[in-house]
Amino acid sequence: MTTIRIVTDSTADLPADVRKQFGIEMVPLQLSFGDETFLDAVTIETDQFYKKLAASDQLPKSSQPSTNAFKELYERILTETPDAHIISIHLSASLSGTYQSAVIGSTMVEIEDAESRITVFDSKSASIGIGVLVLKAAEMAAAGSSKELIIAVLEQLRTDTKIYFLVDTLEYLQKGGRIGKASAVIGSLLNIKPILTLDEDGVVSSIDKVRGQKKAMLRIMELLGQKFNGQEPVTVTFAYAQRIEGAHEMNELLKSHFNVQGTTYFELGPVIGTHAGPGTVGLFMHRV
Amino acid sequence: MSKRTINGIDFARMAAAGADQLNHNAERVNALNVFPVPDGDTGTNMNLTMTSGMKELQGKTSPHLGKVVEALSKGLLMGARGNSGVILSQLFRGFAKSLATLEEAGPVQLAAALQYGVDMAYKAVVKPVEGTILTVAREAAKHAVTISRRIGTADELMREVYEKANEALQRTPEQLPVLKQVGVVDSGGQGLVYIYEGFARVLSALDAPQQEASEATAVTEAALPEDVGMADRLRSAVAGRPGHSAQARLATEDIEFLYDMEFFIDRNKAAKNAPVFNEQRFKEALAKDGDSILVIESDDVIKVHVHSRKPGDVLNLALPFGELIDIHILNMREQHRDLLEDEGHGEPNSLPSPEALAAAEVLTGGAAPQTTSPEQVHEYAPFGIIAVAMGEGIAEILLDNNVDIVLSGGQTMNPSTEDFVKAIEALPAEHIFLLPNNGNIILAAEQAAELAGRSVSVLPTRTVPQGLAAALAFREDESIERNGELMKRAAESVRSGQITQAVRDTSIDGIAIREGDFIGIQEKAIVVSTSDLSDACRTLLGGMLEEGGDLITVLTGEDADAGVTSQLKQWLNTEHPEVEVEVLEGGQPLYPYVFAVE
Repeated sequence: MTTIRIVTDSTADLPADVRKQFGIEMVPLQLSFGDETFLDAVTIETDQFYKKLAASDQLPKSSQPSTNAFKELYERILTETPDAHIISIHLSASLSGTYQSAVIGSTMVEIEDAESRITVFDSKSASIGIGVLVLKAAEMAAAGSSKELIIAVLEQLRTDTKIYFLVDTLEYLQKGGRIGKASAVIGSLLNIKPILTLDEDGVVSSIDKVRGQKKAMLRIMELLGQKFNGQEPVTVTFAYAQRIEGAHEMNELLKSHFNVQGTTYFELGPVIGTHAGPGTVGLFMHRV
Repeated sequence: MSKRTINGIDFARMAAAGADQLNHNAERVNALNVFPVPDGDTGTNMNLTMTSGMKELQGKTSPHLGKVVEALSKGLLMGARGNSGVILSQLFRGFAKSLATLEEAGPVQLAAALQYGVDMAYKAVVKPVEGTILTVAREAAKHAVTISRRIGTADELMREVYEKANEALQRTPEQLPVLKQVGVVDSGGQGLVYIYEGFARVLSALDAPQQEASEATAVTEAALPEDVGMADRLRSAVAGRPGHSAQARLATEDIEFLYDMEFFIDRNKAAKNAPVFNEQRFKEALAKDGDSILVIESDDVIKVHVHSRKPGDVLNLALPFGELIDIHILNMREQHRDLLEDEGHGEPNSLPSPEALAAAEVLTGGAAPQTTSPEQVHEYAPFGIIAVAMGEGIAEILLDNNVDIVLSGGQTMNPSTEDFVKAIEALPAEHIFLLPNNGNIILAAEQAAELAGRSVSVLPTRTVPQGLAAALAFREDESIERNGELMKRAAESVRSGQITQAVRDTSIDGIAIREGDFIGIQEKAIVVSTSDLSDACRTLLGGMLEEGGDLITVLTGEDADAGVTSQLKQWLNTEHPEVEVEVLEGGQPLYPYVFAVE
């Protein structure tokens, strides 16, 4: 029987202890503040990162891991575990070249049959949205599920998960050029909260702009209500940037609208955090 | 001068006398406003509307009745302010259409024209209310039609019209309960009666006062004290519109500042030792021999518009600050003569003139004026939004949130139809939404939408909070219809409240109001009146929050009190901890606080 090994990248926002517990391998993206370069979640921690972000005029740049980083990791795993099959789950290909880099890395592995032993999977998601898929895959792998079954379940879960980001300030979206054209100053005077989502192709799109935190949260409830009926049990995962209170508040609201069976909180990592900014709360909800 | 018929010259005199009579009594009409709030004054609005009509009439007096009435009607239409002003303009629009081809008219034709005007005005108002100017006009016209065949002279007819109108006016409290409650007759109806009185007096030569031109001007200014002055000062910093004092010069035969000049100063081509440009001082210098001054300064160019007596001086004044480009100088006396002959003026669906586009570009801080040559095709944005608001803070918020042009007004001064038309012409957009943000401005906006000949729709927003919500709901990527729905729905989902000070003692809906009291208005109803500002705010907000709410926006006005504001925040945090509160500096005059609950 083959052993399934799981690989992801740092944007899955899974902390080191969780990765260790489930035997998940991680390839870091790179972050650079001017001349300083860091390996995400390796040479810079999330807290450290947000401090630097607040102090910096310019947004840091992130760059995808090199193809070689993937090649070497895949080679190490396949050498360590000769019967292994790798499922490598990554940040939406629409948002980053990470997936592409992994695919190319997999073709460069100098081990026989390597290509057929590596499945690179586009999460079409970001942050803990990837993390949820990764954990599911790891859990199934530990239970001895086949590669085919795991991939099928991941595809289903990817489609079933609703993702909303409640962004606290427009500042970072503007700095990152994510808010279009002349509207560079839009909402600067009003307490406007953009609600973003990742669509089925893994592309970021703005759903709405709502004034006020409370109204924005209620709008998210309304949006979730179009997908979930309130009766069926659901699982919620949060990714928060520096403000867990926002996630707690949203969870309370969720519990009054839906049949929430379990909630998990993670920190929103640097790559997505750079663009959405501190205060952002990412919500990922799917049926149990 | 008892006359069987009247011609153009007679009518011009009637109009002047009607305008004069209204002008003398504008403050009295203002005093009839039902709500004791310091804005939207009917007398001021009708008077300014009439003044615009008279301005259009200037120099166009001819024996041809139809042409003279047409000129007055055109000026009224463009200058219409406030609902009564718009209705007045529609009355004369119909009147003018009916008389268009006539050199002179006797009682029968005049009566028919009055009736046609009434028909037109009723059509223009979506929900006609009885006990208003409409009723007064209708009963007077009906009476005129009834008696016109047995009446011999025009002056007799006009006297009957005036008397019947006055009778109808006295009955308005029986028709509109709120008038009876407050103990007044309808203000718009009263304004119309004054105009008819002027008509009748001139024709009957009943002690018609022959005013000197200068005296008439003086009276105009005296009759409209601070309100107009303040409004002029406050007129949008954004749109930088000139004042209207020029329009008050009723009887001046000639246009005094006859050269209409517009040009740009290209600052990038200024000499190295160029003096520092001081907008205020520059404007003061222009004002020496000019009016209608508009100066818009940006980093690259300064746009200058002025009506001046000495165009050479103006150009010399501008030269030190850079090269002058795109210079247009028109002789307005000449223009007037041309207009008189030019029947085809204002063809529908005409696109904005390059001149208007240039203005718009500078107003919105856009492209350099080089792009304004007529041969070039202008890029039209799919949508534009024009909103009415008072207060720099509110204007800034609106401009930050999808609004392209903010017309100053809403409180103290209602923008005219022409103000809207000019803003529409200056906005290079395929479809334009108008947000009047005041119940008394909706009709003027609708009239402008009709006259502009472009794709324009009016979202009948009645308050600034509604307008702000509508502007925020706008989506660049949606259709006209969908945007209309989204914005309308957003406006409807907001509850609006305003605090102002009562301008006189009265009693409405069981609430006793003393002059100087702070009154709280929820939507259209006065809900509280008290001498304590904090009290007024709390009672008003408490009522607004009865049906719940997630977000309160507090727009602080010029007269807001920092202590009251912070008390209010505290009170809201204690009493309504579940509601988010956002305090923004609105800067609006007369209304210390405007609240939005959503």
